[in-house]
Amino acid sequence: MKTVSRRWPKLILAIALITAVAGCSGEQSALAGFGPVASRITLLTWIMFAAAVLITVFMGLLTGLAIAGPAGWRRRLAGEKSVMWGGVVFPVATLSVLLFYGFSILNAGERLARAENPVHIAVVGEQWWWRVIYLHGDGRTTESANEVRIPTGRPVEIELTTADVIHSFWLPTYAGKVDMIPGRTNRLHFAVDKPGIVRGQCAEYCGGAHALMAFYAVAMAPADYDAWLAKEKADAQPAARKAGERLFLVSGCGGCHTVRGTSADGKVGPDLTHVGGRVSLGAGILPNTPDSFAQWIGRHQKLKPDNLMLPFDFFSESELHDLSAYLKGLE
Amino acid sequence: MTEWIAAHWRSLLLWALGLFAGGVALALLIAYSGIYNVAASAGHHPWLEAFLKMAKDRSVIFNSRSVKAPELEFAEQVPLGAAHFQGTCAACHGAPGQAVNPVYAHMLPHPPDLQIHAAHWTRAQLFWIARHGIQFTGMPAWSGTGRDDEVWAVVAFLEMLPSMTEADYRHHAGGHSEARNYSAKELVSAGRPRLDLTACSRCHDTTEAAPTSPYIPRLGGQDQSYLKRALQEYRDDSRQSGFMEPVADDLDDEQIDRLSAYYAALSPASSPVSRSASVEERERGRQLAEQGDRARKIPACLSCHTEKGREDYPRLAGQSEPYLRQQLQVFRRGVRDKTPHGAMMSVVAKRMTEQQVLAAASFFASRPWQAAAFPAGAEKEKDSRP
Repeated sequence: MKTVSRRWPKLILAIALITAVAGCSGEQSALAGFGPVASRITLLTWIMFAAAVLITVFMGLLTGLAIAGPAGWRRRLAGEKSVMWGGVVFPVATLSVLLFYGFSILNAGERLARAENPVHIAVVGEQWWWRVIYLHGDGRTTESANEVRIPTGRPVEIELTTADVIHSFWLPTYAGKVDMIPGRTNRLHFAVDKPGIVRGQCAEYCGGAHALMAFYAVAMAPADYDAWLAKEKADAQPAARKAGERLFLVSGCGGCHTVRGTSADGKVGPDLTHVGGRVSLGAGILPNTPDSFAQWIGRHQKLKPDNLMLPFDFFSESELHDLSAYLKGLE
Repeated sequence: MTEWIAAHWRSLLLWALGLFAGGVALALLIAYSGIYNVAASAGHHPWLEAFLKMAKDRSVIFNSRSVKAPELEFAEQVPLGAAHFQGTCAACHGAPGQAVNPVYAHMLPHPPDLQIHAAHWTRAQLFWIARHGIQFTGMPAWSGTGRDDEVWAVVAFLEMLPSMTEADYRHHAGGHSEARNYSAKELVSAGRPRLDLTACSRCHDTTEAAPTSPYIPRLGGQDQSYLKRALQEYRDDSRQSGFMEPVADDLDDEQIDRLSAYYAALSPASSPVSRSASVEERERGRQLAEQGDRARKIPACLSCHTEKGREDYPRLAGQSEPYLRQQLQVFRRGVRDKTPHGAMMSVVAKRMTEQQVLAAASFFASRPWQAAAFPAGAEKEKDSRP
């Protein structure tokens, strides 16, 4: 008993520290909001946290008084008036203020988007990756996957839908979290101040590989973004065409994947037209290196169990090498 | 009576236990002493013969009671069953016009002459025996794990066997293979090729004729790498087939190379394109083959199965509908997922609905056969791949 009681505080402290450190550090943090929307969500989080601490301390004091306080205090606490004010009026007022403040934050992004010319992007949740479609406003679109690129200083509107089950698009550092619900289109609005790369992930359990369904959001200076988008719109410009491209096409990869500019026009899986230029592979789980391509093609069921890509266990080492060189060259 | 039992149950129990223990001890003593003669030449005493037959028959009847015969086109499967019977069963069981090989005629129990005995069993019982084999008789279980569909072809043949003449049998079991007169010199130096296992044309297509059954694939013009891979997979038991595994087991690497090269170069007989399915069915199949099904995450069949596909992927156009349907069902049951290529196709087949299986099979069956050896395929770039 003694050891347990001595260990508990340390254990709790350790868990709290690990959680805090993991939450604060780097690219996927709910406590470090960048941009007008995320920073207001962060502020709301701190306000709620501080208020919760104050109310908890206050209630502790009242409980103490109610148990061991002077008779006059106890009588007053038991009266109808204190129940009325403390139990009905105070919570209703506090929660209403928080609710309307929350609504105003939800609207902040939308007001922002309405005021200026926003960037339109559609993201479709799929088991277990993200289909990302850039809407150019003239009816034309450009498809990509598992990475959302946005310009700084402009509001962004993301249309969120799903191709199968409920997913949740969670981009804590920039935007917050909105569910993707079958049959509905939800919208998420935000803006980013300065360039950077942050991570997001699916926040609603969506089946086997849910934990490995992540993505990156890349905020770029407007000029860089425009240059990138022009390149992204263009067809694939393979750096290493020969063997790898032929292998890609004859092996049937085009049945699921599109590489614009070739005969590969599958729509089942992620568009690979510019896959070599993305931050990650396999929906945020591998760094984008030639070796990662070989790893993914050869062992994807081990790296991301249950994912829906077909197993290609028959490629030889040299075939994997050719394919990786080709895909990494699609920048 | 009951009073007597009530009074003496203790001694009755003791007697029963004693007799049982004595019986067990006697059986052990006889077995251990070795006085019982297990020689096949010694034969069974008539009472033992009758007892064993009774036990075997009852066991077959009892264990086969849950077997349900599928609704199949039985007549079309007879050639498969007949050719397999000739290759692997006839040595022991004999066949019309062929006596049992003298070696196997000295087995105990004697393998039954199925031209007489097949009629004693029901369809389900024949299936059960061919599928599971019978202990202590030399009758083996089916060698293709999970391939019950093949066993039914043997059953279809066995049901026909009692009414077959020698000519009928030769026609079904020999398929397109040729029987010719060998000179004495050929017999002396090379031996007489029988209607034996490795005569591929007993079942498969020749330049003049289509396969002997729609359940048998066409090979002429198929990609060489695919044919080689299929034979190797049958040989190393990673692809399951009670028909092809014994055949492939007899082949060495060089023979596999030669056979795959032969069939890849064979220009197949132009057979009428199958039009059995409805137009709507074929149209549904065409859509699936060209576009896939995005909702079910099925890629287009034609992204792999064309003359442009990898050399170790099979071409499907012009293959018969029953064969394609049967293979898709085998994939769906997970029977073909032990090979890397099969593991991939299994995933696709399991995503297909029953209706999509029928549609895809009838679409490919309605297409003209595309052969690697045809001029159209000759312009295909053949990079040297490492």
